[in-house]
Amino acid sequence: MPVDRRKALVFGAALALRLVLLLLFPSLPDLLTGRVEVSTPVNSFKRLQEGLFLYTRNISPYDGGVFHQAPILLPLFSLLPNSRDFPLPTAVFYSLIDLVNANALITISDSGQSVSSRLYSALRKDIRWDGASIAAWFLFNPFTIATCLGRPTSVLTTSGILYAVSNAVCGNSFNAMLALGFASYLSIYPALLFIPLVILCYDIQVQKAKTPSSATLFALKHFGILLASVAGLLGISALIIGDFGEFVSATYGFQLLVPDLTPNIGLWWYFFIEIFDSFREFFLGVFWLHLAGYVGGLTVRLRQQPLFIITSLLAFSPSSSHTRLMTAVMRYTFFASSALLYATLLGPAFYHLWIYAGSGNANFFYAITLVWSLGLSILLADTIFAALREEWELENPEMRGKDVRQV
Amino acid sequence: MTVLFFFLSLLSLVCASLSSPSAPSDYHERLDLQPLPQSSLLASFNFRSNTSQESFEQRHFRYFPRALGQILQHAHTKELHLRFTTGRWDAESWGPRPWNGSKEGGTGVELWAWIDAVDDERAFAKWITLTQSLSGLFCASMNFVDSTRTTRPVVSFDPAEDHSPASSLHLLHGTLPGEVVCTENLTPFLKLLPCKGKAGISSLFDGHKLFDASWQSMSVDVRPICPEQGECLVQIEQTVDMVLDIDRSKRPRDNPIPRPVPNDQLACDASKPYHSDDTCYPLENTLEKGWSLAEVFGRSLNGVCPLTEGNPETVCLRVPNERRVDIPPEVTETRQADGYTRCFALHPSTPFDLSIPEQEVHSQVPLKERSLHAERTIVGHGQERGGMRIIFNNPSETSPVEFIYFETLPWFLRPFVHTLQATITGHDGVRRQVPSSQIVKETFYRPAIDRKRGTQLELTLSVPAASTVTLTYDFEKAILRYTEYPPDANRGFNVAPAVIRLNPQDNESSPIYIRTTSLLLPLPTPDFSMPYNVIILTSTVIALAFGNIFNLLVRRFVSKEEAAALMAQTLKGRLLGKIVALRDRIRGKTSKTE
Repeated sequence: MPVDRRKALVFGAALALRLVLLLLFPSLPDLLTGRVEVSTPVNSFKRLQEGLFLYTRNISPYDGGVFHQAPILLPLFSLLPNSRDFPLPTAVFYSLIDLVNANALITISDSGQSVSSRLYSALRKDIRWDGASIAAWFLFNPFTIATCLGRPTSVLTTSGILYAVSNAVCGNSFNAMLALGFASYLSIYPALLFIPLVILCYDIQVQKAKTPSSATLFALKHFGILLASVAGLLGISALIIGDFGEFVSATYGFQLLVPDLTPNIGLWWYFFIEIFDSFREFFLGVFWLHLAGYVGGLTVRLRQQPLFIITSLLAFSPSSSHTRLMTAVMRYTFFASSALLYATLLGPAFYHLWIYAGSGNANFFYAITLVWSLGLSILLADTIFAALREEWELENPEMRGKDVRQV
Repeated sequence: MTVLFFFLSLLSLVCASLSSPSAPSDYHERLDLQPLPQSSLLASFNFRSNTSQESFEQRHFRYFPRALGQILQHAHTKELHLRFTTGRWDAESWGPRPWNGSKEGGTGVELWAWIDAVDDERAFAKWITLTQSLSGLFCASMNFVDSTRTTRPVVSFDPAEDHSPASSLHLLHGTLPGEVVCTENLTPFLKLLPCKGKAGISSLFDGHKLFDASWQSMSVDVRPICPEQGECLVQIEQTVDMVLDIDRSKRPRDNPIPRPVPNDQLACDASKPYHSDDTCYPLENTLEKGWSLAEVFGRSLNGVCPLTEGNPETVCLRVPNERRVDIPPEVTETRQADGYTRCFALHPSTPFDLSIPEQEVHSQVPLKERSLHAERTIVGHGQERGGMRIIFNNPSETSPVEFIYFETLPWFLRPFVHTLQATITGHDGVRRQVPSSQIVKETFYRPAIDRKRGTQLELTLSVPAASTVTLTYDFEKAILRYTEYPPDANRGFNVAPAVIRLNPQDNESSPIYIRTTSLLLPLPTPDFSMPYNVIILTSTVIALAFGNIFNLLVRRFVSKEEAAALMAQTLKGRLLGKIVALRDRIRGKTSKTE
């Protein structure tokens, strides 16, 4: 197999950059692990270490308020040497995960599904980057590097999602469902991607096989695979931990009910600090419903571009480790979004003012999270607009480049 | 005749059975006074009374306080220890603690009890009953001892040896480090005593002096005792230990502001070259301060409590034998063989006062060597995370010291046990990092659960001779919901003191307890003034995102011209058209007139 030289170069440089950063600034990983922009209570590497410590000493890590991550991570990470004494193996592990993710992105990009799928073929096919450039954009993105060094476990969820998509675009729908099952098992929300992913798989299958099987049957079959893979992983977890109910309430219950309000760049924490107690459950329901609500709308309207739906949905996920994924796959809106830049620069400063300097209060950081969310939503809306416009121009070629209105 | 004999014997039997329950009940009280370095005075009050187990169960109380007895019976509590403490014991200058620390609590209120219950859940329900009732009895906020402040220590406390073997006992332990102990707790405490502060040594208690002390600890202990012969007893022991600053206590209440010593009373070092009329190098006072009970306590002792049985020597003073002590002439003084202790036999309802005049000091009562020095502090800055540092110093040159370290942490302080590190500093003063397993022999750890349970950590440690061990671990501070903060949120949250239990070398004596000071933990705070603003702003941003995206999704594209045409058909479009036409007409008219 011929080795793509550009790809090898990008991968090598990315790996070297990560290791050089680690060697030059040995305290950088611990610093980033403590940053609220990188670590949330459900993916923090420090909490994982605590869970591992308890797990290797035969104390149930879920019988406490610190560890809320999936049980399968415990035996996985206990294979790695103690990261405090030997930081290098963990860093190499996380860098490799980044490379694996980049590889999946290349596969997605090279398949060309984003520009021409079964029902859709983009007009601006030529405006597109090749796989190696996308991998470079992903691997040298400062968000990605910060996440890699901060070592949150959510990168594994990202891998699961990316592999689900890359397998789907290759027509390997069984593996796609397994990977999605893995991602959903690690954190719940990737399950929302099931519908667009199954549409993507179906389109690819129809393209290849030419003899379309029943869509309902196809969806049901894949739903079965997804359920089976999640159930299998849960079964393994029950074998690892023993007490099934305990870990389910400590992981999924924790993610759904948000009892730990540690600040992050999302909107939820401050809202649920300040909300009146009697409305807490109601607004939790509203927020989750809001997240789930986009799946239906986007799927119905953008039926022809399932890959784009997946990309848009990822933008809603809660921390920067996913934002960098979105900026990587996105191709239409390439505008440097000043709102995001503003939030990126001022966020850490305002957090410092609140927590350390004491010269600002919680509203400073809260305001930045508002700006960040606003910036993201505008960016997303722009992307969706671009996709819809592209679709419309495809139907009405004479309208290309003209002013349009939405009614 | 036989009938009469039978009747008499029956009568005597009845009398015997009536008198027997009260036979083992008795009451003792004792006050120990000991001047400490830096013109302090340690006063230890001890009140002890018994009642037989049988009469306790039949609710036949004589010296045992009925209010407390009924609570204990209701809550199935077999053994109770309650502590109210304020201030800090200065171990550096005062030496080891009175009663080896066993009658002392951490700052605030500390309570632990053995409760008889079939399972843990019911024991906890009884515990809540107990804390609620005690809260009412002692006017303290013990009702705030909920599941997050309750722990179940494994090795730190031992029950009394004489519990009935049939009972299944559960130990529960709760602390309220933020509780301010004051007069309202002293009054119910005095009411439990048979003489209720009217006579005997308890007549010395004055809330103003007691709670002005540098350190004070009140304790109530109820435990079963089974003597070798005879029936089992329930014993209640109440103690009050306090360290008074003699100078401060002697100040009159109406003029409490300290004044400088007048010039003519200053003892100056005349050998200094700069000594003159207006400059003075003060000499250390070689005279020990004079004091009397009435001066220091603000009251005089009102005789001995008439209910006291046996030895009437209720007041003992520990000063060297050559020290002059003035006592009333009718009081007899006995000196003990150790050369330091003298006790006074008091008479009922005769006021008693002892005074020590100011005199030259030649010798001091030797203080015992401390076996361990412990210090616990929070390190780090910022409101996001921090670290705990505990320093143990073993002053002994020869033997290592083994002890149990027990701490409870509130749930919003999240410790990371994997970061536990130990450093050891030996004679040479060089800090060396050692694996913590070298110091920590055993660990019992129960992590906290948010809003349900606090952290419980019990370590068995061993500190080598003549060395200092420092344990550190990291923790993270949780941010709470805004209703969970107290009104003074920015003051911080109290963290209960750690309890250290030193097992005695020989198995004869009781363990020594040391408690560290309580800690103050600042947490990040939200802005309490703007829940509405946050709800509104967050909802606005979410609604913007939702509206923006669904607006795009549900509408269709048209060209600009089509849009104008479509616009004309709607009601709004037609209205606009009318307005434009009207405007044109008016414009046309005005142009005509011109």
